[in-house]
Amino acid sequence: MTRWLALGALVAVALVSAVVLGPAHVALGDLASSEIVRSLRVPRALLALLVGGSLGVAGVSLQALVRNPLADPFLLGLSGGAGLGAVLAIALHVGGPWALPLAAFAGALGAMALVYRLGLVGGAQLDPRVLLLAGVAVGAFSGAITTAIVSLAEAADLRNAFLWLWGGLSGASWDTVLVMLVYIPVPLVVLYAAARPLDLLALGEEPATHLGADVEPLKRRVYVAASLLTAAAVAVSGVIGFVGLIVPHITRLVWGHRHRALLPAAFLGGGALLLFADTAARVAVAPRELPVGIVTALVGVPLFAVLLRRWAGARS
Amino acid sequence: MRGLLVASLLAVACRPPADRPSAALPAHRIVSLAPSSTELLFALGAGDQLVGRTTWCRYPPAALQVPDVGDGLNPNIEAIAARRPDLVVLYRSPLNETAKTQLARLGIPAVTLAQDRLEDIGRAARELGRLTGHEAAGDSIGAALDALLGMPAPAPIARVAFVVWDNPPMVIGGGSYLDQLATLAGGANVFHDLAAASATVSIETIVARNPDVILVLSDSSAPPAYSGRREWRAIRAVREQRFIMLRADLFGRPSPTAPAAVAALRRALEARTK
Amino acid sequence: MSDTAPLVAVHGVTYRYPHSPGDALHDVSLEVRTGEFHAVLGPNGSGKTTLVRVALGLVAPETGTAELAGQPASAWLRRDLARVVGVVTQREDNLFPQQVRETVLLGRYPHLSFWGVERPADRAAVTRALERCDALALSERWIWTLSGGEYQRVRLARALAQEPRLLVLDEPTASLDVRHEMELFELVRGLVDRHGLAVVMITHHVNLAARFADRVLLLENGRTAAQGAPGAVLTRETVERVFAWPVAIEPFDGRPQMIPLRQPKEPT
Repeated sequence: MTRWLALGALVAVALVSAVVLGPAHVALGDLASSEIVRSLRVPRALLALLVGGSLGVAGVSLQALVRNPLADPFLLGLSGGAGLGAVLAIALHVGGPWALPLAAFAGALGAMALVYRLGLVGGAQLDPRVLLLAGVAVGAFSGAITTAIVSLAEAADLRNAFLWLWGGLSGASWDTVLVMLVYIPVPLVVLYAAARPLDLLALGEEPATHLGADVEPLKRRVYVAASLLTAAAVAVSGVIGFVGLIVPHITRLVWGHRHRALLPAAFLGGGALLLFADTAARVAVAPRELPVGIVTALVGVPLFAVLLRRWAGARS
Repeated sequence: MRGLLVASLLAVACRPPADRPSAALPAHRIVSLAPSSTELLFALGAGDQLVGRTTWCRYPPAALQVPDVGDGLNPNIEAIAARRPDLVVLYRSPLNETAKTQLARLGIPAVTLAQDRLEDIGRAARELGRLTGHEAAGDSIGAALDALLGMPAPAPIARVAFVVWDNPPMVIGGGSYLDQLATLAGGANVFHDLAAASATVSIETIVARNPDVILVLSDSSAPPAYSGRREWRAIRAVREQRFIMLRADLFGRPSPTAPAAVAALRRALEARTK
Repeated sequence: MSDTAPLVAVHGVTYRYPHSPGDALHDVSLEVRTGEFHAVLGPNGSGKTTLVRVALGLVAPETGTAELAGQPASAWLRRDLARVVGVVTQREDNLFPQQVRETVLLGRYPHLSFWGVERPADRAAVTRALERCDALALSERWIWTLSGGEYQRVRLARALAQEPRLLVLDEPTASLDVRHEMELFELVRGLVDRHGLAVVMITHHVNLAARFADRVLLLENGRTAAQGAPGAVLTRETVERVFAWPVAIEPFDGRPQMIPLRQPKEPT
């Protein structure tokens, strides 16, 4: 119980610091009336929570699905597809404020469908190992096409396209928050309902079947729901790495392996992590801003190395 | 017969080393690998001595008739060599170090010019003038830019910000020639304190610094796409649609037209702040 | 002792894997009732695992019928089936470190509600299952610290936590030493005698199968070589033919025991 309280407190602190801190100085007394806070910081903080949470949950689910604790939601080629979609939109000068997110989302869905199709073996069965390989291949392929387009596009858009890919919550607004709030509950609920069968899947597909899990539909549901969450995250904020990889491990260290606890904990933990990372990105080199994907990598990689050693040590 | 072969082989092997540009005759087959130098060469009257330009060299319009040899950064050496140049003008950047070496190995004279700020243009004008046999034109352009830069900066009549990209938001800082143009025109760049030529900032920083006008590099008069987005409207200048469009031909690169650019910007700022 | 209706009723099934030149099973039948310990024997590739898959409805036979607890095997929903049959597969690759009690608790899945909340009754079932498998002392241990024999008992406990009427074990004693082998067979025999379970065990251990099982099915190339009481099935002629190796059959404790004879190769 205390673990949950601590996590809740962490999320609260993360939210508050994201609203109070920033490159522009806003006095505490003026927070409620400040335009910066109302229109920029609060929606951005909420978006960080929703995106970080989505990535955390997607990470837990996908690691269970591919039975590999080193899997990251972006390992399945979604980031490649999203990047390709976004870069195409920039290169073709597609207008409109929603052009970039929609194009990224469409690209991610395209990659998801392609990887899914490649992962199907023997008719209707999803083989997680093939899924992983297909994901890496599709990711590399879309990355290559993206690079080709970027190198042929107008010089000004070149650097900007890569900056977008590095991830950022600068596009946050109440509109984006609303879209996420409407969109993510369904995949989240689907994944939570799959919590128990995912525990079984950790034993292997055959044992899971014998224990009562309907493995094929389960894999499909989990793959699609986790991919949809990831696609939404990429669409609104680019590729923010390491959240989906690290958060599951940290939550497992504290909550164990029961997905009924892991999934909500990963949502809150992922949200808190991204909130702290985004606050750091905004404040660390003020007035300039770091891409948040770099902050999560800088924090995530050493953290991950430590976790890896503990995990490897525990297994031997 | 064999003697002739050996003699010609020896002759090839004993070609003189790469010419230092300063020792060469006026160059008449020039490949220019930067939009600034291309424009400058035309301004010097050396346009018909150009045999190659980069894909991005679009000014003046006559430049489009010059053959395209690809990129200016990490250039295509083969494409350049195919034009049989006697001078290559490189943009000074660490990315072009290899190109310089490769060109030297091929015996093609190359000169590297800094082309980032207005003072670089004056210097480049004089050097290119010398190299192309148009010293007088080079000195004249150099003098005009010296005069421009030598004037005391006028008192600022407006606070400005250049916003060049929206996702992530990117602004022009003190290191850019655009900042120089703004200062000379009486516009105080609110991001002048950033040493870099451009930087990513949060929207809230732009809100806090509250520029009077937002300067946009664009040939169309339509307001930028982000001006309709809710989070951008927290910036007063966006809310009030206070944009000034800067034409690419005058403002797209540091150029000998700088005096005209400054004048145009000054007129636009005055109109806005009336 | 036995109910009238068989738990497993497989009649005359034939099955061929896709792209396979021959039948994996041809006209094989098997009936298992409560309180019966059946052993399925045969050389590698003789169809033992295929038979179990047909019996559990995982694959549909081309001819013949397969029924489980009165219903066609393929008509069972996975969850419902898991309340009737507990399966211990040959191998398990448990990626995530768990404690014993947690892993046995997974066996309660078929009894949980939709949202998967565990109740005291579930925890009691886990304790009971651990007791029956003589693994209660291992409850708080982490599974990677268990020996092979201990881990097998834990897996068996998980299957028992399902509260099944039928246990299916696929080569449960492969790679176990003699003590753990004997312990496991005794355990299974005890479950049948004291708790009325039905058991189908695939095993390579002909001798232990002969000692502990009530009935034996000996498969040869997908066909039934012999079926019935151990004494009737394990005759020298049959065993020699099926396993293609000379043996002697000696009685022990009223059951036939197979002793392979030496056949050293002549140096060429």
